[in-house]
Amino acid sequence: MATLAPPVPDAGRSPSPAAPATRRRHRGGSKAGKPGPVTYTLLTLVALVSIFPLYWTLVAGSHTNAEIAATPPPFLPNASLFDNFQAALEQAPIGKAILNSVLVAGSITVGTVLFCTLAGFAFAKLQFRGKGVLLGLVIGTMMVPTQLAVIPLFMMIAELQWVNQLQAVILPTLVSAFGVFFMRQYLISALPNELLEAGRVDGASTFRIFWSIVVPVARPAMAVLAMLTFLTAWNEFFWPLIALTTANPTVQVALAGLGSGYVPQRSVIMAGTLLGTLPVLIVFTILGKQIVGGIMQGAVKG
Amino acid sequence: MATVSFQQASRIYPKAERPAVDALDLEIADGEFLVLVGPSGCGKSTSLRMLAGLEEVDTGSIVIGDRDVTDSPPKERDIAMVFQNYALYPHMTVEENMGFALKLAGISKDERATRVREAAKILDLEPYLARRPKALSGGQRQRVAMGRAIVRNPQVFLMDEPLSNLDAKLRVQTRTQIAALQRRLGTTTVYVTHDQVEAMTMGDRVAVLKDGVLQQCDTPGELYDRPANVFVAGFIGSPAMNLVTGDAVDGGVQVGNAVLPVPREQLTRAAASNGKVTVGFRPEAVRLAGPGEGLPVRVDVVEQLGSDAFLYTSLADAPDDVLHSADLVVRTEPRSAVTTGQQLWLSTDRGAVHVFDAQTQQRVD
Repeated sequence: MATLAPPVPDAGRSPSPAAPATRRRHRGGSKAGKPGPVTYTLLTLVALVSIFPLYWTLVAGSHTNAEIAATPPPFLPNASLFDNFQAALEQAPIGKAILNSVLVAGSITVGTVLFCTLAGFAFAKLQFRGKGVLLGLVIGTMMVPTQLAVIPLFMMIAELQWVNQLQAVILPTLVSAFGVFFMRQYLISALPNELLEAGRVDGASTFRIFWSIVVPVARPAMAVLAMLTFLTAWNEFFWPLIALTTANPTVQVALAGLGSGYVPQRSVIMAGTLLGTLPVLIVFTILGKQIVGGIMQGAVKG
Repeated sequence: MATVSFQQASRIYPKAERPAVDALDLEIADGEFLVLVGPSGCGKSTSLRMLAGLEEVDTGSIVIGDRDVTDSPPKERDIAMVFQNYALYPHMTVEENMGFALKLAGISKDERATRVREAAKILDLEPYLARRPKALSGGQRQRVAMGRAIVRNPQVFLMDEPLSNLDAKLRVQTRTQIAALQRRLGTTTVYVTHDQVEAMTMGDRVAVLKDGVLQQCDTPGELYDRPANVFVAGFIGSPAMNLVTGDAVDGGVQVGNAVLPVPREQLTRAAASNGKVTVGFRPEAVRLAGPGEGLPVRVDVVEQLGSDAFLYTSLADAPDDVLHSADLVVRTEPRSAVTTGQQLWLSTDRGAVHVFDAQTQQRVD
């Protein structure tokens, strides 16, 4: 289950050191006993280092350009935040970009989670000819760098007349080799064969088994994959920059056009970045609760 | 309710050297409780899974009622199965677990609820219907797995070692409950276990398998009294039957320096293959004889069980190369004065000796 440790978003980490400490105490058994001051100090330090970039974004985004450049730099948020928001929203269609990004990242997440769970289930638990070769092929695609695919992909998009349309960034990433492999690994260990056999004896079709038995069991892994996928899709810059224009951008493409000029307006860039990060933070807060461990407990005698 | 029939059914796993189940012929009567028993890897679970449709049948056929189901998927066989580890759906409540098959069969919600409640009542599960499996004890989970089977009212129950995850006390309790439930419902049942006590106490008939081959299928009493071969003789009964192999000599079988008496006619036929004969006698068929009479043995261990005592002995005068495995077990009165290291002489009850051909391992009467 090591692969299932919740991913640590660089900005969305809870600063509370108590939660991981408690978990550790439960896992480590009574041998380790209660965590001491060293543990707490270390965890606090890690938490502070993790949250600092986000905090600095807030600080820089709430000052003017001149204030950020001062020595020593400011360490507390200021009142200019909303002015900078305003400036950012005027300079780039950030509202539209957020909407686009929500659509793009949302569609990619739903598609990836659905298709990867289907494929992962097939590779993990179904018997069919050529399974090993197919899995090898899927994993092999991970070795092909994205940059290599950009030109043929763009030609295809142009052929379909999808340039500057959202489907151009959604469709090529609806399924990921990593996701397939990840779901396969999870289901191999988390889904007992007996559960599938019980379903078959109960009269369920393979699709019904998938829907009624596999998906509920796979939910923790699906939540992890969803978080990872959403984050990757939200942060994706290279391909959207090529396929879209600044008139119909995603957040990252829009931010690239922000604060440009002879002197880059760092405070406006930071304010825009903050705006662009908020939806991700919200998604993580919601999905974090979905990672319910122990859902398999009690299925089979362990 | 239905009969079940295995007709020369075999299962050969790819790349396996020998079949997991080899030409199994078995007729199970309507309403019968048949137990498949054998050591691990004997093919008992595979046989059950073939009947369930979870395992292919490579040759031969399987018939339920008058329908050949050899190539039918599980859902067309009208069977219900109880798995060793219960295989309860973890995200469903007890009620949903029990009603899932009915839901798939398109049975209305009300009817479903009624049938689930009936089954829950029989199994004493009513207070737990809203719980998830993880909030239940092992025994309760086991009963939910049973409930999931009986709620469907299938033609055949299949049970794959359903008690092996319970503790010893609960196992004995549940054993009688399952047997009673089966009698009450009258549903044909095939039950797999590796525990010969379960097999003997639960089954109308018991089928003993070894290496994928059916050794004997008979009532528990018949299996115990007339085992068909050396394997069945040694497998059924606890402690196991004493089995010793020796040369046929005048009047019996040479064991160490003593001769175990065997009737002449049996001896002749049993020794026909290679002159060696295997004789078996149960621990309760052994008597302590006077000094110098019968088999001389040395007591290695004395087991006091309260109601009985078992003496684990070895032949006192056996040469090193002969019969070193022939540890003989003797049942005696409890609290007897026998102590470890003591020398005793054993004799067997006359009609209680089982005779086998040492080469073919088959019983000779």
